[in-house]
Amino acid sequence: MKLNIIKSCLLLILGLAAASCEYDNFEEPKSTLTGRIVYEGEALGLRSQGVQLELWQHGYDLFQKIPVYVAQDGTFSAVLFDGDYKLTLIRGNGPWMDNTDSLDVQLKGNQMIDVEVEPFYTLSEPSYAVSGNTMTVNFTVNGVNTDRDLEFARIYFGRTSLTDAIRNEGSFSVNGADITLGAPMSVEVEIPSGLVGRSDVFVRVGVKTVGLQEQLYSQVENIVL
Amino acid sequence: MKLLKFNIMLAVLLSMVFTSCESDWLERDPPNILLDEQVWNDPKLITGVLSNYYDRLPTHTSITGGWVDFAAYDEAMWSGYSGNDWLNNLPTYDFGRWGLWDYGFIRDINLAIDKLQNLSELSEDVKTQFISELRFIRAYVYFEHVKRMGGVPIITEQLIYDFNGDPSYLQYPRNKEEEVYDFVISEMEAILPTIGNNGSQTRANRFTALAIVSRAALYAGSLAKYNGQMASPITLPGGEVGISPSRADAYFTKSLEASREILQEGGYSLYRNNADLGENFYEAVINKGGNSEVLWAQDFLSSADKRHGFTYDNIARSVREDNLGSSAITPSLNLVEDYEYLDGSSGELKIRTADDSDYIYYDNVEDVFANKDARLYGTIIYPGAPFRGQEVFMQAGVAVWNGSAYDFVESNGLGTSYDDGGILTAAAGPHRSIQEVSNTGFYLRKYIDNAVGASTRGIRSEVWWVRIRLAEIYLNAAEAAYELGEAAEALGYVNILRERAGFGENSLSTIDMEEIRHERRVELAFEDHVVWDYKRWRVAHEKWSGSDSNPESMIYSLYPYRVVRPGHVNDGKYIFVKSVAPRFRAPRFFQMGNYYSLIGQNLIDANPKLVRNPFH
Repeated sequence: MKLNIIKSCLLLILGLAAASCEYDNFEEPKSTLTGRIVYEGEALGLRSQGVQLELWQHGYDLFQKIPVYVAQDGTFSAVLFDGDYKLTLIRGNGPWMDNTDSLDVQLKGNQMIDVEVEPFYTLSEPSYAVSGNTMTVNFTVNGVNTDRDLEFARIYFGRTSLTDAIRNEGSFSVNGADITLGAPMSVEVEIPSGLVGRSDVFVRVGVKTVGLQEQLYSQVENIVL
Repeated sequence: MKLLKFNIMLAVLLSMVFTSCESDWLERDPPNILLDEQVWNDPKLITGVLSNYYDRLPTHTSITGGWVDFAAYDEAMWSGYSGNDWLNNLPTYDFGRWGLWDYGFIRDINLAIDKLQNLSELSEDVKTQFISELRFIRAYVYFEHVKRMGGVPIITEQLIYDFNGDPSYLQYPRNKEEEVYDFVISEMEAILPTIGNNGSQTRANRFTALAIVSRAALYAGSLAKYNGQMASPITLPGGEVGISPSRADAYFTKSLEASREILQEGGYSLYRNNADLGENFYEAVINKGGNSEVLWAQDFLSSADKRHGFTYDNIARSVREDNLGSSAITPSLNLVEDYEYLDGSSGELKIRTADDSDYIYYDNVEDVFANKDARLYGTIIYPGAPFRGQEVFMQAGVAVWNGSAYDFVESNGLGTSYDDGGILTAAAGPHRSIQEVSNTGFYLRKYIDNAVGASTRGIRSEVWWVRIRLAEIYLNAAEAAYELGEAAEALGYVNILRERAGFGENSLSTIDMEEIRHERRVELAFEDHVVWDYKRWRVAHEKWSGSDSNPESMIYSLYPYRVVRPGHVNDGKYIFVKSVAPRFRAPRFFQMGNYYSLIGQNLIDANPKLVRNPFH
């Protein structure tokens, strides 16, 4: 019986010793990588949750991408460990030319980078003028790489600042064939009935390239009615 | 001490005596493991292996595997356990959603073929038959791969590593998409004379193989045609994804010929054993006795304890038995309205007057569904429809006239009564928020077992999962014929199916692609077709565009209310309100990157010759 007590005491000590070990001893990542998707120095307007960048880190057993989603104003951020990463664009994912070159990112502390892309079409900042229930939208579509056709330009109206092709309360579309590249356009659009009577609406213009899911947008603007 | 020594000596001696008796002591057969020579020389054991392989065939949504995903498209939504409400709140479909890379299974099949060829001493005929059946299974598995991933490496023999430190000779690149489809078709054609199993509905036979040709060639043909018609076709430079449009007609011809052969020589016929056309359509899928329509099914048997809980999980709320949960998958109003009226008019339900000024009042809650395509009854339990002889009455609440308009009153519970003594919310719902009550106003009937006790935990269901039935062959034939310009032939096939559903003879006089697609949707709902059909027609991104202004991306519900308006002619009648289902949150969103599933990074790491699919 005495033996048993000693044994159980030993077991208890062993258990305590094991329990006191700290398993959860990882340090959380601290460095922040922030950046923008730019063309000629200007951040591009996108759909939120639409475009994804990939971060890869070589040299470890588990080789998996770290997905980085780009916000609708073209910015992104990720909290990471310090180290050497490669930043890549996914083919056919964004409204720009495929670029298979990766961007080297040496992260040490917080850092900001600009990811330069070459879009197919760009928009110069549109202007909006309201009179009654119609809105006049002036914008210019510029061709950067015209080997893919322009499908359409579309004006989106929304209730919130998250307004894009997926989330909107109404839209008005101009056919790609009716657009002269580089020339200012003026379109008169009726404000969707669901938004009439509100004090303000959110508006932006998107251009779609044939065969790409994502459009390139102007930044969202809040227009007082 | 002395005694102990003696004992040991005795033990040693004794053991020497015994071992010397049996000279092959170390070479006995294990009592608990079957050896290759035993398995591959015994037809019964080989059948056992085959049944394991049949059971492992991949499906996306069937009544045993992945059935919750019936609620992930626009045929139905999730009304069951609220912890699964993510199905109603999918912001996008994951790129890996339909992923399949089951080379473990393919290796098992390759090994089995190899062993039958090299080890078995059965007669040549028996061996050939088993090998044909294994080749059928292998080709079918490749078909399941190609429709999800695009081209995959075709491996038809076991790969053996020689431990030289360089595994690159085992790394095969992806075959072209069309090569995999060609492989599936040619394998099926090669085994036609030898596969046997005539008349079997669960093991593959000649007509099952032809049915796979009918389906696979149709998929390949429409991929070739409709991918080519996209503004910017989805392709990879090596052809791993994308088929040249010039091959479309050849595939359609192949499919049509296979379908014709089944229709003319198969001896199958559409199920017409019940004069009640709605019940008849329901039985056509679930009836296992003398069902002449089913070509190939995954069977279940209570006495062998091979059962499933699909009925337990999905039975209508008010007819459940010992359930703790139920009513998980509930069909959407979108699907209900796809079933046309028997006079050929569009299936949109008549719930508002023509000028939209008032509701239409019905005496009985089921009257609004009168004179509809019988397949509606056979697929869906709508308010007032019977199940197991019991009416599934549904009422969301009452509409009380306040002098100028209706106030809608609903209850927090089920089976409640209103101030006037009548029903407030029926025992079967529908209800906006309670889990395990229909949220759409409909319950599923197809594949729900009508046998008493089938929704209890003790008994469960033995309804089979129909992999292929003759109605699909008719529709495959119609589609292929139409694509080849044989509209008259296509029209004939479609009219046969419509006649069984209660439409008159030759109810359609002309046909177009839209009509054929519509027939597929209503005939084959909940049979694992809608995703693959939308993908191969390249319309999935338009149907499920992620925008809440697109009615096809949303799930709608239909709630019946009893009118409380004492003294008025409409008092006690029923009106219906259509709205987006309350528990439904996010529009269905199918992205271009969903057309082909993600090849995992772990696979690319192991085999750098694999190329990624487009948009990934």
